[in-house]
Amino acid sequence: MTSAATSAAASNNAAPIDPVFRQVRDLVYKVSGIFQLEEKLYLMADACGRRMKQVGARTPRDYWDLLTANASREAELRQLLNEVTIGETCLFRSQPQIEALKKVILPEMVEDKSKQIMKRLRIWSAGCSTGEEPYTLAMSLLEESERLLKGWTIEILATDLNDRSIETAKAGVYGDYALRSTSDLFKRKYFSQIDDKKLEVKPEVKKLINFSRLNLQDNSRMLFMKGMDLIFCCNVLIYFDGPSKAKVVNHYYSNLNFGGYFFLGISESLLNLNDQFRLVHFPGAIAYWKPSLKSGTL
Amino acid sequence: METLLEKRNAMTKSVASTLRQRVAGIENTPSIPTIFLPLLDLLNMPPERVKLDEVVKLVSYDNTIAAQCLRVASSPLFGLAKSPETIRAAVISLGLRKVETILLTCCLGNAFPTANWPLDPTVFWKHSLGCAMVCRKFSEKLGDGDGDKAYMAGLLHDIGFIVNCMAFPKEFALATAQASQEQIPLAQAEQATMGFNHCESGRALAEKWHLSEDMIQVIAYHHAPEQSKLARSLIALVHLSDLLCRMRGMGYGYYERLKVDLVGDPAWSILLEEHRDLGNVDLALFSFQLDDAVAEVAELVSTIFGARAQS
Repeated sequence: MTSAATSAAASNNAAPIDPVFRQVRDLVYKVSGIFQLEEKLYLMADACGRRMKQVGARTPRDYWDLLTANASREAELRQLLNEVTIGETCLFRSQPQIEALKKVILPEMVEDKSKQIMKRLRIWSAGCSTGEEPYTLAMSLLEESERLLKGWTIEILATDLNDRSIETAKAGVYGDYALRSTSDLFKRKYFSQIDDKKLEVKPEVKKLINFSRLNLQDNSRMLFMKGMDLIFCCNVLIYFDGPSKAKVVNHYYSNLNFGGYFFLGISESLLNLNDQFRLVHFPGAIAYWKPSLKSGTL
Repeated sequence: METLLEKRNAMTKSVASTLRQRVAGIENTPSIPTIFLPLLDLLNMPPERVKLDEVVKLVSYDNTIAAQCLRVASSPLFGLAKSPETIRAAVISLGLRKVETILLTCCLGNAFPTANWPLDPTVFWKHSLGCAMVCRKFSEKLGDGDGDKAYMAGLLHDIGFIVNCMAFPKEFALATAQASQEQIPLAQAEQATMGFNHCESGRALAEKWHLSEDMIQVIAYHHAPEQSKLARSLIALVHLSDLLCRMRGMGYGYYERLKVDLVGDPAWSILLEEHRDLGNVDLALFSFQLDDAVAEVAELVSTIFGARAQS
């Protein structure tokens, strides 16, 4: 546990959480679909605390008023969401999603596509930030390249709005913090040491990924992102307003092949923005499924 | 020449008769608390006919259970302002139905020596109690009005595993080993290794114990609600809650390679017949909230069973 986490946990044990933060938690879910567990409520309280200092709110109740007042709510919610999701990015962050991919989804897709001549998997990491998610996917799939995915072509498309993030992602150089959930085995297998603090992703991993800049609200470009088997879009849609979010999600539905899956962040929900996707459960993870033609659910 | 069907029927009959014999053996286990059968009678009564004094008497009869009941009543889970000091105070503070469910859990938990169970008893209780809680929450979300019955159904749905642990330990050990090794549902492994699953053995025990017909149906059909004729809505609720528990950290203690499509499940349609509002339930949120329940359930299991459950 990091010292910051220890102090947060200690402060969690020390004092009961102000019930206002529970209200904030529920509001954040309602507008963004991000859910904060009761046992992680102290993180929400910490995030609010940082914002309260910034805006000079003296009590949690004052901050609640700011969050719900017409004039300030939109801007402040955006700032708060930034605080809530800060520092969440690291490689191998959402293990239950990776497990679901390897243990349930890949065997299903391999079987479904077994009669196709072109054995290809197309995956899109939408809003890939500095590359942690697409590299995690690439390494996880490489692990299967001699087993389940033998003879398959894997294409990972990783896009982000921010040019600087894309450049960082392409470089694939990470320090301890980003690698805190990466096993030593994977560090040895898929990274090269570049100095005593940094590791760089090996070329065999990089070559699976095509990085490019994309604005998810660019309708004409979104129309061309066809033939995806999997889309990952973690903590990105939370910043969009309802109608823009619905539009992007509708695009994703069209971008996916039948039988394809759309993953949000591990505690993120689509709320009720799309009734074509089917919510499905895997152990510890949920995903949105575009039912396959053979499932007879269309 | 015997047809395949006749052969299968003959086999099923022999399985059923073995089941009955071995289940009859379990009932003679001396460790079943004396209060168990009267307690079940009480549970089958409409709440208005249950007398407070009778419940207090039942709880007080068994020292272990009385102590457990007080411990649970004092735990922060029930949020009582002051820890009750007497059984009577605990029963009044918690309410009759809550006391009954606590009692039943304690009773079942104490009833069977779990030393050589092929299934980790802590895992079993976490799943059963977790499912009970989820059933109640689900039922409340649907405005069902009988959360206690749903709780009971969730708590009892898997009692067939107790039968299998007690009466078929060797065979069931093979099933649990196969299930965790191949990461398949336990019922499927039971069927493959034993020729029957915990629904059938649970039903045999439930009939022996004279549980209500609805409970018998839940125990017998929670893996196939579409085959049931009675209490279909309750069985469907238990079926979906069971799946949700297994997907959210309250399963059988191993990774199940499973994709669960609740809305596409036949149980969903059955539930939808009686609960038109089902479509409005935010399933993602419900699942996230269950993650909070995992810690709560673990705490409840260790409060009831103490150190034994933590091992």
